[in-house]
Amino acid sequence: MVPMLSLLMALFSYLQHQELTAQQVVQKATDKMRGETSQASLTIRTVRPTWNREMKVKTWTKGEKFAMIVVESPAKEKGVAFLKRNKEVWNWIPTLERSIKLPPSMMSQSWMGTDFTNDDLVKESSMVEDYDHSFRGDTIISGRNCHIIQMIPKPEAAVVWGKLIICIDKDDFIELHTRFYDEDGTLLNTMNAYDIKLMDGRLIPTRMEMIPADKPGQKTVLIYSNILYDKPLAETFFTLQQLKTIN
Amino acid sequence: MWLALAWKNLWRNKNRTAITISAIFFAVILSVSASSLQDGVFDNFIRNMVGYYTGYIQVHQRGYWEHQVLDNCLSQNPTYEANLNSLSNIAAVAPRIESYALASSDETSRGCLVVGISPDEENKITSLQKRIIAGSYFARADSNAVIVSEGLLKRLDLRISDTLYLISQGYHGSMAAGKYPIKGIMKFGAPELNDQLVFMPLKTAQEFYSAPGLLTSYVLGLKTDSKLSSTVGAVTELSAGMEYEVMSWKELLPDVDQHITMDKASMFIILIILYLLICFGIFGTLLMMTVERKYEMGMLVAIGMKKWKLAMLFIIESLLSVLLGCLAGLVASIPIVYYLKEHPIRIGGELAESFKRFNFEPVFPASMELATFLTHGAIVFCIGLILSVYPVIVALRINPVRAMKK
Amino acid sequence: MIILVMAWRNIWRNKVRSAIIMCSVAIGLVAGLFVLSLYKGILEDRVSTVIHTEVSHIQLHHPKFKEDYEAKFVVARTDSVLSKLRGVPGIKSISARTVSQGMLMTGTGSTGLQIIGVDLANEKLVSQLDSKIIEGAGFGGKRKNQIIIGKKLADKMHLQRGNKAVLTFIDPESNIVSAAFRIVGIYRTDNAPRDERLVYVQRDDLNSLLAIGASAHEIAIILDDVNSVEATASSIKALFENMQVETWSEISPETKLMIDTTDSYSNIFIMIIMLALSFGIINTMLMAVLERSREIGMLLAVGMNRAKIFSMILTETIFLTLTGTPLGILITWLIVQIYQTKGIDISSIGGMTMSEFGFSSMIYPAFPWEKMPNELMIVTGAALFSALIPAIKAIRLKPVEALQK
Repeated sequence: MVPMLSLLMALFSYLQHQELTAQQVVQKATDKMRGETSQASLTIRTVRPTWNREMKVKTWTKGEKFAMIVVESPAKEKGVAFLKRNKEVWNWIPTLERSIKLPPSMMSQSWMGTDFTNDDLVKESSMVEDYDHSFRGDTIISGRNCHIIQMIPKPEAAVVWGKLIICIDKDDFIELHTRFYDEDGTLLNTMNAYDIKLMDGRLIPTRMEMIPADKPGQKTVLIYSNILYDKPLAETFFTLQQLKTIN
Repeated sequence: MWLALAWKNLWRNKNRTAITISAIFFAVILSVSASSLQDGVFDNFIRNMVGYYTGYIQVHQRGYWEHQVLDNCLSQNPTYEANLNSLSNIAAVAPRIESYALASSDETSRGCLVVGISPDEENKITSLQKRIIAGSYFARADSNAVIVSEGLLKRLDLRISDTLYLISQGYHGSMAAGKYPIKGIMKFGAPELNDQLVFMPLKTAQEFYSAPGLLTSYVLGLKTDSKLSSTVGAVTELSAGMEYEVMSWKELLPDVDQHITMDKASMFIILIILYLLICFGIFGTLLMMTVERKYEMGMLVAIGMKKWKLAMLFIIESLLSVLLGCLAGLVASIPIVYYLKEHPIRIGGELAESFKRFNFEPVFPASMELATFLTHGAIVFCIGLILSVYPVIVALRINPVRAMKK
Repeated sequence: MIILVMAWRNIWRNKVRSAIIMCSVAIGLVAGLFVLSLYKGILEDRVSTVIHTEVSHIQLHHPKFKEDYEAKFVVARTDSVLSKLRGVPGIKSISARTVSQGMLMTGTGSTGLQIIGVDLANEKLVSQLDSKIIEGAGFGGKRKNQIIIGKKLADKMHLQRGNKAVLTFIDPESNIVSAAFRIVGIYRTDNAPRDERLVYVQRDDLNSLLAIGASAHEIAIILDDVNSVEATASSIKALFENMQVETWSEISPETKLMIDTTDSYSNIFIMIIMLALSFGIINTMLMAVLERSREIGMLLAVGMNRAKIFSMILTETIFLTLTGTPLGILITWLIVQIYQTKGIDISSIGGMTMSEFGFSSMIYPAFPWEKMPNELMIVTGAALFSALIPAIKAIRLKPVEALQK
């Protein structure tokens, strides 16, 4: 009975693997990177033609709705913290001893000088829900077999892109490469992921680069030094009170 | 000989000569004072608008105006500043560092423009001190305080000596945050300035923006504003080899420039109309003079004077009277224009209200430029000469019998 | 009576002289009136540019709305306000707008702007939005989330008709709302900075995204007559006590400043022109008296008294002025008629090139009916005053000397 069952299980999982839709692949990749909750330490490196800047931060996330970021270095910004609750972003500034809710006028500004905007922190668009996904062939990146998936935003979705081409490892569901296009097919951004390592039991890329296509010599690099997944984090962790005392 | 004869002729009938000369005389006075007033009104308007915030000339790092972010700053350059100051037409060089920030009180927050200034230099160009309606201006260049525009303060519901919290992004993506006591309140007539300006001393602002020794612009004040274009040239030359962009107010405030260009063009039409009237006045006088002198002309031709000699005589007479009229007019218009410059026309009513609102003095001063005098003197002179052709033509075509019949 | 007859005859006796004086008066009037027409044209154009594309005559807001443009401060019971406004006399058109501060994002960048939700049918009667559209046809069809953006913004963000742009703004509960809009048109006004900052969407779309029902944040009103702004504003204020009612001059004080400046100095230049006119007439008349000194001497010699001569010369001038005046008015009216629709292209004047101007380098003169009485008084006054000096000169003539010549 037992071998029979295991055979069935194997067959089932095989079938399931076969039947994965493009959307499910993207779903798996996103879930993998995000987890139920996550706690990470990372370095954000802002690269500009004439200067570079490095910042060490700690992050906590719970699903899509809650996130907290605390800056650990450089010294001048140590303790600056951001809290995302649903669609609001609060900014705690130790030198002022107060937290300020970011007004819409600041949403389009760059987040801490990086290639991300404040709005990227709260963006509601979902890689899974807001796009129509379809397979567009296979490729090999860093020796890994990848699906090439094309993602077209749904007409009503608040997505700025016209098309995404995303490459996801077939076995480990790792997003290795993404290209962002506008509706005319012009390349706008490229995301590359490197240095795949086992972190808290998950095989994930630990270095990611975001490269805007129209700004030579400019990119933002995220390097994860440590990530913990699925450690229980209460919603009450993501409060203004916590924002002040997190250090 | 001709000259003496013409001169005598002029003196023979003083009344007539006086009338002809006065026609020219008033023409010169009117055209000179009209255009002096015109220039003065525009210059004054420009001075007001430019003195409001922009300054006559600004120097930035190349590319700053197109993309106004702190990362396009220039380094404070004492040698360059000294060179600018040594240019003959530069009255003041005010360094500024400005960028947008979020200003907040306990209750609410709001976007604002935080401007770091050198208190003394800035005051020479924009007379900021005069705009203080409560509190005081920066006494020291290193005071750690802010002066806030009235509208912004009201919206933040703050008062003098309350604390203003500022957050922004500093140089190279750093975080800018600081709290400052409010030292003074300024009032601006233009709502977009009155609702968003925050001033602090340059050093304080550079610290706030993590941009020590950096500026977004040098704002230049002029001694003689009419020499704007040559000064822009001189500044550009001085900035050669450096990555600076030199911009005049015309580029900084294109809408004001457009408004003034429009008005100048319409003024030009009005000057033409004025000249038309002047022509007509002079011509009327000359015409009547000719009518009056027909008898005399007929007589002279009848007793054997050659017509061309008669014409010559008339030409010289006209030349003399036009010249006299022009010179007298120019001399007389100097004190008039001077008076209008020193005691400008005061305006009342609604305009005075609007001017007051913007903290402008409600006056229309005249400008006093040598070129204006010479140009309009010359124009009237030419008009006088051209119109004097009429009596000459009459003299050449005179029929002595018919002319004397009257 | 005899004086009237004599004056009349004198006018016809020396036609050249009479023609000159008559023409002086006519030309003076033409000059003065034409300058006034030009200024009226310029001012009307400027006021109407500001009013009819930007601020409208009167705007209504929730008293707190303009402080922070918060979506929750809508005009309370917009529908009833609108229907009450329709009962106010003198109102020509009304547009209810939903206004939201927000952000436009594309793949390459984002920019802050003001999103205005309008019903195009009403809005075009207030801001003439439809006539400013240079690409595309404006809102049309049933499709949701259409947007019209300014040329300047389109250039800055590299957007074209048919492109997609994501708008983000804050709803009354302070939630961030985002939605994708499709660019159906590109507009352009003379005010480029404004074109960069304002985008138009359909009010129904914006209202449903903000979930504010049929409310509006701003009610813009155009009146039949610009001169009744203050009166209408105060009667609207009386109707709605809890509302901020502003006139165009309160909304845009800079425009008011520019207009008042132009208006004021135009008066100064009218004065100068009138002076020039007076000098012209005085000189001509003086010469005329000189020329007539024989004749006047004769009249004095035959026993006509000086008072009669004085009034004769004055009467002559009055006749000439009276004939010159309607002539002047007629000529000006004709000139204005010609240029009123054609316009005067001032870019060709003074060697200034077209590029120095924006798009409106045309002046469309307008006949200054309201300034006619004033103008007539000035011209007639100048003519009479000009006649006085020669008339005085005339009665001072000594008959013997005058005849001797």
